[in-house]
Amino acid sequence: MYSLLLLNGGIGARVAAGQPKQLIKVRGIPILVYSLVAADAVESIDQIVLNYPDGWHDTVRQIVSDYAIKTPVVYVPAGASRHDSVAAMLSSASNDHVVIHETARPLVRTGDFARLVADPNANVSFMLDIPFTVAPVDSEQKVVTGYLERSGLRNVQLPQKFAKADLEQAHGYAREQGRTFTEDATLVAVAGHTVHFIDGDDRNIKVTTPTDVRLATYLLTDHEEDWNE
Amino acid sequence: MSKTLLVTGASKGIGLETVRRFVAGDDPPAKAILVARPSAEYSEALKELASVSSSTEIVSYELDLADRDAVLDLVRTIASDHGNVDLLVNNAGYTKPVPIQQIDFADFERTMAVNVYAPFTFVQELLHQGNHFELIVNIASTAGINGRSGWLTYSASKAAVINMSEVMREELAIYGTRVVCISPGRTATALRRVLAPDEDPSTIMQPGDVATVIEMLASPVGRFVDSANLVVRQ
Repeated sequence: MYSLLLLNGGIGARVAAGQPKQLIKVRGIPILVYSLVAADAVESIDQIVLNYPDGWHDTVRQIVSDYAIKTPVVYVPAGASRHDSVAAMLSSASNDHVVIHETARPLVRTGDFARLVADPNANVSFMLDIPFTVAPVDSEQKVVTGYLERSGLRNVQLPQKFAKADLEQAHGYAREQGRTFTEDATLVAVAGHTVHFIDGDDRNIKVTTPTDVRLATYLLTDHEEDWNE
Repeated sequence: MSKTLLVTGASKGIGLETVRRFVAGDDPPAKAILVARPSAEYSEALKELASVSSSTEIVSYELDLADRDAVLDLVRTIASDHGNVDLLVNNAGYTKPVPIQQIDFADFERTMAVNVYAPFTFVQELLHQGNHFELIVNIASTAGINGRSGWLTYSASKAAVINMSEVMREELAIYGTRVVCISPGRTATALRRVLAPDEDPSTIMQPGDVATVIEMLASPVGRFVDSANLVVRQ
């Protein structure tokens, strides 16, 4: 069985000065609901470790209750960085294998989680081809420094899964090295473990800007496709 | 079918015909839960269903849907005693058609309670209980599309049902739930006799006709016609 570590940044900018920050909503529904409902239907996920930004514990807990999420949920305060948050959530995971997802990707489907956990390898990430060219640069000097073969690069997506022991060891390695990683597939690989990837879906976008919210709204309102299958 | 069907206003008219059709269909539900106010015709209907039903277990409750606390209690009882409700038909309706100057506000509140708040409460409280619907059918009315002189409370309540259904359709898509709203025109029901007492009921659409449409909507082909309020009229 798997524990889902669900990263829940979920808080948008203030809509106006003096106003409290708002939970990001997509189609009028708090963004974390999409991932919770999709994961709740995955039988091999029997624990959800959900983090919450400072001051949002009660709101997040109420949403989980209102949506009658059946999988047991453990609440963990968010860390200073994504890296720190995963490390903190990992200690609350009760299974030997974990899935990592973030609520900022509301287009994840139950089938995505199912495909990930069904993969025979222990450490696996969804990744996407890069359909455009990226250049290595010296960002100080604003000078291009070479060439990168894009067939040897991938856009890292979530969800991912890891053997808990490998992920813990990798986070220990990062602490020893004094390094911070922006995501865990590269961290675990750099720490010396084999990490596989399977092809993701370009619908599974990360929602961070107001434009992303509109794009996600459009994709989720497309009745030609059932996004929960 | 190992599914559970719940129909409100099931003692007569469209509600009872819907139960009859599902029970007698090719793929009858394992359980049919009927909810209606107590009446002699409800008792008769239950006797009849008990005599004809073969594979469907008939469960009945007596309730006035204007009593919100009783509705909440009932929904919790249904969730704990019968498990998941797969198909919900919000059919019960109430009207007392009078001109604006004669509307008793308490009666307007009763109309909204039965026609709008009760179906909302069935859906919301079942969701709170962890219920995952396959299909929700809300019975609105053509009176909810166009207001009509003398029918303010009924028209307003059914307009609310149409719009409420659109929101439910959007929000419950995360579970794969289909939400259907149908607006029957003149149908030979007890409620229609209140609205149009002088009309010959044999000349208009019959409850069985509307029930046939509901049965079609519940079938696989239903998903091709469920994207908007479906008008069913002569």
